[in-house]
Amino acid sequence: MEKAVIDELVTIFGQSNVLTDREDMIAYSYDAAPVEVEPEAVVFPTTTEQVSRLMKLAYRVEVPVTPRGQGSGLSGGSIPLKKGIVLCMDRMTKVIEFDPANRLISVEAGLTTSDIDPIAAEAGLFYPPDPGSVAFSTIGGNVAENAGGLRGLKYGVTKDYVKMLTVVLPQGDIVKLGSKCVKHVAGFNTELMFVGSEGLLGIITEVTLALLPIPKHRESALAIFNTLDDAAQTVSDIIAAGVTPSTMEFMDNATLNAIQNFKDCGLPRDAEAVLLIETDGEEHSAKAEMVIVQSQVEKNNSRDFKIAQSTEERDKLFAGRRVALNALASVRPNLILEDATVKRSVLPEMVRGIIAIAQKYNIQVGIFGHAGDGNLHPTFLIDQKDKEEMARCHKAVDELFQLAIDLDGTISGEHGIGLEKKPYLENQIGAAGIKILQDFKRMFDPKNLLNPGKMFDMPGESA
Amino acid sequence: MSTYIKTQQQLAEEHLLEAAKEFEKCMKCGKCRSVCPVFKEFGNELYVARGKNKLAEKIVSGDLQITDKLEQAINECLNCKTCSANCPAGVSPEHVVLRLRWYITTQKGLHYFKALIFRQLLWRKWPITIGCAVVALAQRLLFGIGPKNPVRHLFPLFGFAKRRNFPQLALRSAQSMYPEVNRSKTGETKMRIGYFTGCAGNLIYTNVAKSVVDILTGYGYEVVIPKKQKCNGTPVMANGDYEGARRLMQHNFDLFRKYDLDAIVVACSSCGMSLKKEIKVFVEDSPELQEFTGKVWDINEFIDKNIEIKPEDLGPLPYKVTYHDPCHMVRGQGIKEQPRNILKQIPGVEFKEMKNADTCCGSAGSYCITHYETSIKINDHKIKDIQDAGVDIVATGCPTCVMHIDDNLAQHHSNEKAKFVIELLADSLRAKGTVIR
Repeated sequence: MEKAVIDELVTIFGQSNVLTDREDMIAYSYDAAPVEVEPEAVVFPTTTEQVSRLMKLAYRVEVPVTPRGQGSGLSGGSIPLKKGIVLCMDRMTKVIEFDPANRLISVEAGLTTSDIDPIAAEAGLFYPPDPGSVAFSTIGGNVAENAGGLRGLKYGVTKDYVKMLTVVLPQGDIVKLGSKCVKHVAGFNTELMFVGSEGLLGIITEVTLALLPIPKHRESALAIFNTLDDAAQTVSDIIAAGVTPSTMEFMDNATLNAIQNFKDCGLPRDAEAVLLIETDGEEHSAKAEMVIVQSQVEKNNSRDFKIAQSTEERDKLFAGRRVALNALASVRPNLILEDATVKRSVLPEMVRGIIAIAQKYNIQVGIFGHAGDGNLHPTFLIDQKDKEEMARCHKAVDELFQLAIDLDGTISGEHGIGLEKKPYLENQIGAAGIKILQDFKRMFDPKNLLNPGKMFDMPGESA
Repeated sequence: MSTYIKTQQQLAEEHLLEAAKEFEKCMKCGKCRSVCPVFKEFGNELYVARGKNKLAEKIVSGDLQITDKLEQAINECLNCKTCSANCPAGVSPEHVVLRLRWYITTQKGLHYFKALIFRQLLWRKWPITIGCAVVALAQRLLFGIGPKNPVRHLFPLFGFAKRRNFPQLALRSAQSMYPEVNRSKTGETKMRIGYFTGCAGNLIYTNVAKSVVDILTGYGYEVVIPKKQKCNGTPVMANGDYEGARRLMQHNFDLFRKYDLDAIVVACSSCGMSLKKEIKVFVEDSPELQEFTGKVWDINEFIDKNIEIKPEDLGPLPYKVTYHDPCHMVRGQGIKEQPRNILKQIPGVEFKEMKNADTCCGSAGSYCITHYETSIKINDHKIKDIQDAGVDIVATGCPTCVMHIDDNLAQHHSNEKAKFVIELLADSLRAKGTVIR
């Protein structure tokens, strides 16, 4: 990058907020996806104004800019594919306003998502979306990826809580979108256009989120099944019976065995599936819902059903789920964690399909995930150094995505498209779907400088 | 000479290979960012475990050479093991860091000053012992080094920050105060225990050594303090000197095996971790080594497991006490409840758990000499948690934690004092006067 551009960056951000050393470029060349590209500079804004000045500079000198939070994304969304500047938002961490009367909180985009709850809790409120990375991802990143989590079935995902955004558009304009009102119909729902935009349309610098009252009580239970179909049928039956559990986590036989090999959590090695189920709300309603859950579980030939009677018992029931990823990670040197999602009614087909694909390509797989919302995490256990195995794994992943599409599902429930799933997006949304994305992108970013090369290619570009 | 001595080339290859075994497991999820105390101060990915893993990968692939900035990043690690304790992929990034430090030494050699300390002074030991006695005398003649004492202007000459507060060194080392064999005081001898004093227990916190000897002999154990024991090697290996550390570990291993001991106790968290675990990286595996490491106990762990302290043995101590978990005890050795159990037994002691008891205090041995300003920033969080706990004493089990916390408490004009759990137990036993007279 030209020295004159670097000098301008230093003028905007100050010397200590601009990195250009090779070692620093290495440290900002990756996120949690298996891709790396070294940028030419990394900058750390502390104000929206600085972000705006950066984008004006980028548009003038035509340098690509890639926004980044904490770099925990699983789809490569923050990789500076076309080099240029990495715009690292993780120093914009101020809480702007906590407004318990309206159950709202306004924060800067670089705040770590789990830092919201201690503040909200002072007024008995909480922020429901809880992606696995909640303690090491920024709220801006969560909004840009429309992050999900364990409680999606009952509480929805990030998009359900975004009220207002401050966004710097690619050419440097600062806009405030949305409203703090419960109802507002003044103009398009533009704030939602940026939720899940993966940093392609603008840079989110401030977020106003809706909060909910903390449920007074939770009931937790573990149900063990001898067949996948029984477990899946139970999921459907519980919902059909009118209960919306706050959590309904699924683990398959391979995951159970990986957990037991890793640490004895008292899980049965020969069960085909377990469900971890939680209901919450007022004590009487959480308990009443759990009674319905129990009847549905038992109706479906469950082998065992345990309701936790204390916090310690609850922790014990969840011990296995908490270490599931660690346990799977210890089986082979590396793993590939996917998030293909289907309607919960076709969960058994999906699970059986994944197992068949893994067998076909001779790849170890463990499946766990959020059964209530059909968001599974098939986890392929591999050794990246084994090129032949990697090739087989890629084929398995290809088939997995096609399976999800064939079952009327989606290739990504919560990780985003980024680089990792870019080749598969057209299979799901079609050429017309890609074209409308391209049109939006061109409207906001005619020079294609903001996070270029992600999610889809612009016409004339190729991967 | 052991066949375990390798050429520089062999060592370099081995260090890179061992580092690779760890960083290859890294999923790059970023969870270390939420726990690393150093990263919290810097806010730059280069200083978090994930960044260091990536740097190591680049060194191994040959894509990056050893640069000043790389060395600086690699040296910004407390070896507190918080990242490895929280890593979903089971990576031990501190081993990547240590291997890289050792690798860099094979390529660039050891700095002459480090070589002097690690390979000459620590190895010969007597210059350190005499040096400490001289400093101890000077400290007394200068009537304590208060915040305004002009002697502070000399500190930077020795690599120390001017505002730093030092503990009072001992005029006489613990090893010279006690005979090699200290008989049981009860008539019977339950076990013959070797006591590895550690440098701090020998030269600074001799009251810890006194507490260990008094308690163990008072409860019927024979305590052997081999005179020729040397530094366990922790600061040596942490500063990149694999060879120097190997020689020290081999020496202590050979020495303690000569004494026909039933157990070996330590009252220093890092000495304990090194004698139990890290020694296996340096000394060739053998049934003798397994037997040796299996005999090592932290003093808190030993007392909690083996000694039945009767309530009538203990006199009251009128303190509110909290406990700080040293990294190398809680994560290094899995010792968490034992010291708390001891504290809770002492009559009069009101035990209060503080917040974040197991986060690193920033001392990290020699890190707080070489990186004083960062280490104090990290420690500031600890001071706040101690103050919030509303206690008189913060008890712990690691000399460098005591040193660092005491230093910064004084800088905050805070009245709490850091003490060893074992000292409080000895005080309580002395207050009653039946077991320790």
